[in-house]
Amino acid sequence: MTRYIVRRILWFIPVLFAIALVTFVLARAMPGGPFDFAGDRSLPPSVVANLERKYHLDWPLWKQFAAWLWDLLHGDLGPSFRYRSLTVNDIIKQTFPVSFQLGILSLALALIIGIPAGTLAALKHNTWVDYFSSFIAILGVSIPNIVLAPFLIWAFGLKLGWFPVARWGADYTQFYLGFIPPMTSDFWKHAVLPTVALGTGLSASIARLTRASLLQVIREDYIRTARAKGLRERTIIIVHAMKNALIPVVTVLGPLFAAIVTGTFVVEQIFGISGMGQHFVDSVNNRDYPIVMGTTLLYSVLLVVANLAVDITYAWLDPRIRYE
Amino acid sequence: MLARRRWLTLWAFVVIASVVLSACAQPTPQVVKETVVVTEVVEKEGATVVVTKIVEKEVEKIVEVTPTPVPGEEKVTLNINWGTEPPTADPSLATDTTSVGVIEELFLGLTDLDDETMEAIPELATEWSSNEDRTVWTFKMRNDVPWVRYDPTTGQVEEVTDDEGNVRIVNAHDVVYGVKRTCDPRTGSDYAYVLYIVKGCADLNMADPEAENFQELYDAVGVRAVDDFTVEFTLEYGAGFFPQIASMWIARPMPQWIIEEKGERWIEPGFIQTNGPYVMTEWVHGDHLTLEKNPLWYGWEELADEAGNIEKVYGVMIEEASTAFALYEDNELDTAGVPLDQIERVKADPQLSKEFVNTPINCTYYYGFITKKPPTDDVRVRKALSMGIDRKTLVETVTKGGQIPANAFTNPLNFGSPALDPDIAPWALPEDMGGWGYEKAVAEGKKLLEEAGYPDGEGLDILLMHNVSEGHARIAQAIQAMWKSAYPKINVTIETQEWRVYLKTIDRESPLEDKPNVYRLGWCADYPHANNWIHEVFHPTEGANEPLISEDDPQVGEAVAKFAQLTKQAQVEPDPEKQKELYKEAERLFVDEIVGIAPIYYYTRVAVGKPWLDRVWGDPGRLHIWKWKIDWEAKKAAMGK
Repeated sequence: MTRYIVRRILWFIPVLFAIALVTFVLARAMPGGPFDFAGDRSLPPSVVANLERKYHLDWPLWKQFAAWLWDLLHGDLGPSFRYRSLTVNDIIKQTFPVSFQLGILSLALALIIGIPAGTLAALKHNTWVDYFSSFIAILGVSIPNIVLAPFLIWAFGLKLGWFPVARWGADYTQFYLGFIPPMTSDFWKHAVLPTVALGTGLSASIARLTRASLLQVIREDYIRTARAKGLRERTIIIVHAMKNALIPVVTVLGPLFAAIVTGTFVVEQIFGISGMGQHFVDSVNNRDYPIVMGTTLLYSVLLVVANLAVDITYAWLDPRIRYE
Repeated sequence: MLARRRWLTLWAFVVIASVVLSACAQPTPQVVKETVVVTEVVEKEGATVVVTKIVEKEVEKIVEVTPTPVPGEEKVTLNINWGTEPPTADPSLATDTTSVGVIEELFLGLTDLDDETMEAIPELATEWSSNEDRTVWTFKMRNDVPWVRYDPTTGQVEEVTDDEGNVRIVNAHDVVYGVKRTCDPRTGSDYAYVLYIVKGCADLNMADPEAENFQELYDAVGVRAVDDFTVEFTLEYGAGFFPQIASMWIARPMPQWIIEEKGERWIEPGFIQTNGPYVMTEWVHGDHLTLEKNPLWYGWEELADEAGNIEKVYGVMIEEASTAFALYEDNELDTAGVPLDQIERVKADPQLSKEFVNTPINCTYYYGFITKKPPTDDVRVRKALSMGIDRKTLVETVTKGGQIPANAFTNPLNFGSPALDPDIAPWALPEDMGGWGYEKAVAEGKKLLEEAGYPDGEGLDILLMHNVSEGHARIAQAIQAMWKSAYPKINVTIETQEWRVYLKTIDRESPLEDKPNVYRLGWCADYPHANNWIHEVFHPTEGANEPLISEDDPQVGEAVAKFAQLTKQAQVEPDPEKQKELYKEAERLFVDEIVGIAPIYYYTRVAVGKPWLDRVWGDPGRLHIWKWKIDWEAKKAAMGK
């Protein structure tokens, strides 16, 4: 198992390198550069040339990529073209923790609601419990964030006044160790609506997935054997059935974790939360190549690590799965 | 298995607990090596020479700066929305409205612009004069404005002192440094082109920093300090509007010493040194930017009858207009823009309608024609298309923001603008504004199309492009429908492109095959003078000239030649009345005879302001918050609810 893990970790390097290379080439293949225009007006070519020279965009592509790699190995992701006084490291340090917090909270909510709901639906299959929770699940999956978020703001923020209308409850100057938020009531109050907006859609898909998977598992032979052997129903479900039922959920959870934790553009935009989601989108629009590379790299790292974690979890969930 | 799980949980608890407990560390300043450009004045062979060196310095970067709140002191606070994270607060580097808005509150300029007349009024400069042909301008400055910085540890605004303990006063050398810095290609200023009017700035800006004559070019820029408080500018051509250019952020005095010390990070709170009515106390990137009153600014006393009472400005950065409006309704913002889809509701609401404000903004929305691409290479087709746009209906039913139908390119808020004068493009104005009205315009348009060989638009294939945006899409579809109803046999296709790709497509240098026939664009003033509009955008060689008008055009070539000559003449014309006439004739030629564009509407701002806020509704890049007043008791009462 350890050998397997080490091998997988070694594989990260070529995978991340390939992702970085492809992103690098694609970003520069887009027509238009970061400095062609100031607002609406195009700049004289010599001015553009000077700006590009300042940021080494006039070097041959291989040299630019090598320079970026070299800086990366020193932990420097480069300057931002648009935010002149900030580096990509700054931007990530400032925005990633917020996205991470929102992401973790939403995922936690999704799992806390989704798995029990799905389990209950599967166990009470074809009863009103099942129909009701399936209905809610479909509702949750179908209503897009861009509709749910403003509705939550209007209903619970403006009309009822229970929660703040927008923004996150703490900023990067207040985080412990850079990413742990202060556990103040202000923070939690601000966290509720965005977490619900993001988490309910996720919980719905997780519920449906759990339900389908568990339905299949409890019809397996070994469950029948366990019952025949006289084990309590509760033990059978929680100890024996759930572990295998959760395999599809865990599969989905890996990439989902990476995606959610690096920021969701829509929810962050609507709630005015300064997370990383906007930078994914804006950096492309602004042709801010270092941010494009930095955010893509971060996302890729999280993704490959999450996938590895998922694979290891398989081995724990299902002893039949073994790695050499 | 069970035992392992218990271990895991225990481990997790221990880790989390230790992390939380150990997390009470204070952020410590980092010492970092940074490359900084340093200029030194050195004696070399009897002559004073300015030497620029690239030096590796150890810079102490304060990772975060949180001002300790002074207990018990309540400040009259304004809550606004900057709208987005300002890309920079550096006057040389700012290009967008948000950055300019912040800079305007922090840094003083030689002149300021009057909120109503847009004329240059004294700020750092007490008086100015020029020579006969307006090529040399001399500004006399006041000598009592200190550079200040905000000390986050004490919460006080203090004067900046130099190594000998003398207070640094804003002087002519700071202006010279600021202007040259903007022109310097190493600064990487996008907006330096506005300063090309200063002699030598363009040459410096386009030069290679490695070139041998670079230092010469740097010294040759036409700005010098006659004495400590007198600045002299030498221009490339005579311009009566130079005092307005002197008010722009790129020409402001800048603190050389702190810029050289901190490099690109000099604008971070704790480092930044300013001289304006407010200082920056806190800038949490992406979240909020706070300003507080600079008690050392002369204006609080000297301009007391205009000055307001805002002591603190807490500005959030909400990009989504509807969210900002929700914050406004929740009393967390004192003023906000009204999203397009809420205008009806706001106007109908008894409370909100009282807070509703509709004021003009110095921007014009227009459709440009590519005059080299058939069928828009025929001036009659262009004119017919311009006539076929029902501007009144458009602003009333599609944009709904109280916009004004436009007949000329230059927005009425600029000096020299002949906008809304029915002598120019009368078909664009409705009857109640002195124009022909839409019916007559379409009738004339039909005649023109028949003359051109496209009766009722038959055989006419028009490609209309705009950048991706819901607003532009709605307007484009509305205009497409208008053209179809006016000239039933016309065929109009709409295409959209992503913003930067789009700008490249319509750029003068891009290939003709990629271009559309009609493109959508807007223009906002850099400085409120017609030169910035009709000359800098549409002059055939010196302007951006996206419509590609040229003197070789078989139909309008002569008019183009005359137009080009007129804008150059107007630039140097000393008599303001004559200048206005020249601009009027130039616009008439451009919009009426050459038909390079079809102006559509003049922008307005649609916003709301709380009843306890008494504010200036000027240009969004020039908020003049120092003039705003808040009825603090009323606001506190409303917030307490």
